[in-house]
Amino acid sequence: MISVSPNSASEKLDLANLTDEQRALEIKNLSLYYGEDRALHDISMSVPKHGVTAFIGPSGCGKSTLLRCINRMNDLVESCKVKGDILLHGKNIYDKGVDVAALRRRIGMVFQRPNPFPKSVYENVVYGLRLQGVKDRRVLDEAVERSLRGAALWDEVKDRLNASAFSLSGGQQQRLVIARSIAIEPEILLLDEPTSALDPISTLTIEELITDLKQKYTVVIVTHNMQQAARVSDQTAFLYMGQLIEYANTDTLFTTPMEKRTEDYITGRYG
Amino acid sequence: MESQTEQQLKANQTRLIKDRLARVGVTTGGVLVLVALLLIFFYLLYVVQPIFESASVKPIHSFEIKANDQTLALGMEEQAEIGYRFGASGQGELFALQDNKFADRNTGDIIEQRMLVPEGQITSFARSLPVNQQFVYGLDNGEAIIVQPKFTVTFPETARTQGTRQVERLIVPRFETLNDERPLQVDQQGRALEQLAYATDGEGMLMAAVTGADTLLITKFAAEQNFLTGETSLTPKYEQRTLNAAIRDIAVTPDLNKVFALINNRIVVYAVSMSGTVSESQVITLNGRQFGQAQSLHLMPGAATVLVTHESGIISQWFEVPTDEGRTFKYIRQFDAGGPIIDLEVEDYRRTFYAVTNDGKLNVFHTTSEADLYHEALPNLDTQMITIDPRANHLLAEAGNELTLFKLNNEHPEVTWSGLWQQVWYEGYPEPSYTWQSTSGSDDFEPKFSLVPISFGTIKAALYAMLFAVPIGLAAAVYTAYFMSPSVRKVVKPTVEIMEALPTVILGFLAGLWLAPIIEAYLPGVLAVIILTPLSIIGFAALWQLLPSHIRTTLGEGRASLILVPLVLFVGWLSFSMSPWVEAQLFDGNVRGYLTNELGVTFDQRNSLVVGIAMGFAVIPTIFSIAEDAVFSVPKHLSNGSLALGATPWQTLTKVVLLTASPGIFSAVMMGLGRAVGETMIVLMATGNTPIMDWNIFEGMRTLSANIAVEMPESEVGSSHYRILFLAAFVLFIFTFFFNTIAEFVRQRLRDKYSSM
Repeated sequence: MISVSPNSASEKLDLANLTDEQRALEIKNLSLYYGEDRALHDISMSVPKHGVTAFIGPSGCGKSTLLRCINRMNDLVESCKVKGDILLHGKNIYDKGVDVAALRRRIGMVFQRPNPFPKSVYENVVYGLRLQGVKDRRVLDEAVERSLRGAALWDEVKDRLNASAFSLSGGQQQRLVIARSIAIEPEILLLDEPTSALDPISTLTIEELITDLKQKYTVVIVTHNMQQAARVSDQTAFLYMGQLIEYANTDTLFTTPMEKRTEDYITGRYG
Repeated sequence: MESQTEQQLKANQTRLIKDRLARVGVTTGGVLVLVALLLIFFYLLYVVQPIFESASVKPIHSFEIKANDQTLALGMEEQAEIGYRFGASGQGELFALQDNKFADRNTGDIIEQRMLVPEGQITSFARSLPVNQQFVYGLDNGEAIIVQPKFTVTFPETARTQGTRQVERLIVPRFETLNDERPLQVDQQGRALEQLAYATDGEGMLMAAVTGADTLLITKFAAEQNFLTGETSLTPKYEQRTLNAAIRDIAVTPDLNKVFALINNRIVVYAVSMSGTVSESQVITLNGRQFGQAQSLHLMPGAATVLVTHESGIISQWFEVPTDEGRTFKYIRQFDAGGPIIDLEVEDYRRTFYAVTNDGKLNVFHTTSEADLYHEALPNLDTQMITIDPRANHLLAEAGNELTLFKLNNEHPEVTWSGLWQQVWYEGYPEPSYTWQSTSGSDDFEPKFSLVPISFGTIKAALYAMLFAVPIGLAAAVYTAYFMSPSVRKVVKPTVEIMEALPTVILGFLAGLWLAPIIEAYLPGVLAVIILTPLSIIGFAALWQLLPSHIRTTLGEGRASLILVPLVLFVGWLSFSMSPWVEAQLFDGNVRGYLTNELGVTFDQRNSLVVGIAMGFAVIPTIFSIAEDAVFSVPKHLSNGSLALGATPWQTLTKVVLLTASPGIFSAVMMGLGRAVGETMIVLMATGNTPIMDWNIFEGMRTLSANIAVEMPESEVGSSHYRILFLAAFVLFIFTFFFNTIAEFVRQRLRDKYSSM
């Protein structure tokens, strides 16, 4: 069967009863509608701090939609309506008066395809800081080095920080995008199938990076690749048809799934 | 099985043929487009090219005229079939310049030989300007005889074949002595006329004569028509001046009100009144310049320009220029013939003159364009005298007894590259200027072909249109592509694009006949609309953001633009209804008067503001459409990436979306500019088409395209004017070519830099 990453087994959390200390995010009775269509059904779960939580499930199951709810990227979709709460430090991010831009500064996101801006490597990394009005060159320089090191890219690009971001390879671009996200030091990093457009070697690098990232950040990753989920994640949530079927520690879920549908999916019977 | 394969192969073959046909068709189409473009390009060049050719002079034939006196003047009739000669003995000859079987004439045949001065001693000779073709013998008894060669042209029938008349041109020449063959008394005291100058305006005459070296006689013959008999009688008015130096040369103008007398490097100018009273108006000093001793005076057609020949071979040009002290003659420019000049001839209509030097060199110059057209020795180096036919197609030169007829090819002397693009000092202008004034009613008009004011007008019109169109077009494009809800966008985009299909003639018509008077009547209102509308929109947007969000949600975000419509209408109404009040309070009820008197700004009804708005309106759809596509096609994952980093939509727009869309936005602006530069109907109808060089928004302009549209119908095919209009078209072509190339180049660079994956 699927091998499970050893570090995920190091500490077992009781996912149903996390303390406020352990909890990074709490999703409560979340439902999402596209017009009349209901895409998410009453989802409740808690995401623990400093761990990697993976959302898996077949295409169209709503895993990406759920991820995008966490930093309100779904707001951009017209006709999209959200019911329920997502609590960040006990505060509902869907409350009126929440500054979406400020929220997204705290919850960063990396997309499926590498999407560096048409700027230099340096400018890509400092983009978020510049948005906040940081102008001090020293602060920016430090942030660039720290973020690029954090994204395991520094050694590869330190000599061409002023080169266009498009001159990097796909894997490097994705790591640049991660560096860009961590430059503004978010609490939570959302990764939406970050390796699906990359070759296996780049994928491996990114996976190693994710393992490093969780030391500092809470990582939520959507992946359609179960091996990846097993390799990098500590907790795994299996979604199916807009419903959260099972949410457990990764090794538990992959070795002794509670639900028949989970077992069918992870053994490749559908998906 | 096999047949199936065969069938498949067959099907493949038809596909192959189709594919090949398509490829050939597409290639042919593409090549044809290129060929058509090149053809236009080369045709324009082909039509334009002759204006830059210099003159050529080719001998046709030489012949002898048997006369035993010295030649005083030569001349030719229009067709260069018949020439004439005035001899020092008073004898005149009319002779054939070319063989003519029908008239039974051979080259050099003398058709008529006549004694033109029946009695008296000839002491001087003068001629009118070439246009009038009159020649005067001055006699020792103070009288003058005016002779004119006349040519009667008939077309007698030679044969009739099947009802078609065959005609042949027959020119019968004769000498006619004017004033009923009576001499005119130039000097009341009957002194010998030692030098003579003569001009006529067709009826009256003005003569200036020198007697006794320094005495100048000015006699004006005013023409009066007898009411009863219809006969014209000449009333002379005699005046006399004594100058303190020998008079070298004299000249009179055909408007009969100026006499020039050349003495020792000074020209004394006398004004002659209607009644013939003479007063000294100016003394031109030639000494200040190192031209050498002045020798003779010559008037150009129109008699505004005086040419002075100098010993050194320099010919200096002088004309009257308005100054603070009234109109005074000024030095304008000079030409160098390279040696002492023995004969100088001017053309009948154009500003071309021909100078022969004592070493037999012929020099052809054009004053306006400062063109040095020809500089070569004539075949016979002792050429003493030349003449040009009225159409300036032939040149007749005399050397000893031998006359040589030349074919003269000098089609476009008035055009030079410098004349087209640099300041030229035109006759009567206070200073060198860029002027476009191609035609006028008068024959002796000096055409002013400067492409600078019309090129300037093109840029001015395009610029004002862009000032109006770029902010609106781009703002609309960005809003539509980035902020508008898809359902509204679906309606708005095609609607704006339909605007592009609006015929520009309608826009021009509305601009000229409807908008221009409104702008004139409500100028403060129009300016207020231009300033207040954007302000009110921005103000509204700010207020909208301040509204509690639940009210906004209830009203609907998309409906904000609907609420904006009555607001914009209200601002418009307010501006216009305030306009008369503002005008009364701030500008004494007359903005135009205020602009002109207080600010010194000229206001024309059809001005750049009207063009800016009307042409801007025509350009907006172009800019909008391309820019909207560019902004809309910025990949969503880029803007999402920015939003996910905590950027506001506005930050995302300015820092990522516009940057990525910049190649498209740039080409939208350049396409708009290209359209504004080439646009014809709107500028033609909504401006006064005045070729001025002034950025003033309240004055009009004349653009290259409107100039071509206005003047092409009235220009003579093959004339300089015609070819210059083609050159204007070529310049326009280069303009748009230039803008498009720059646009494409920059777009490529931007795309390389900012293109997304």
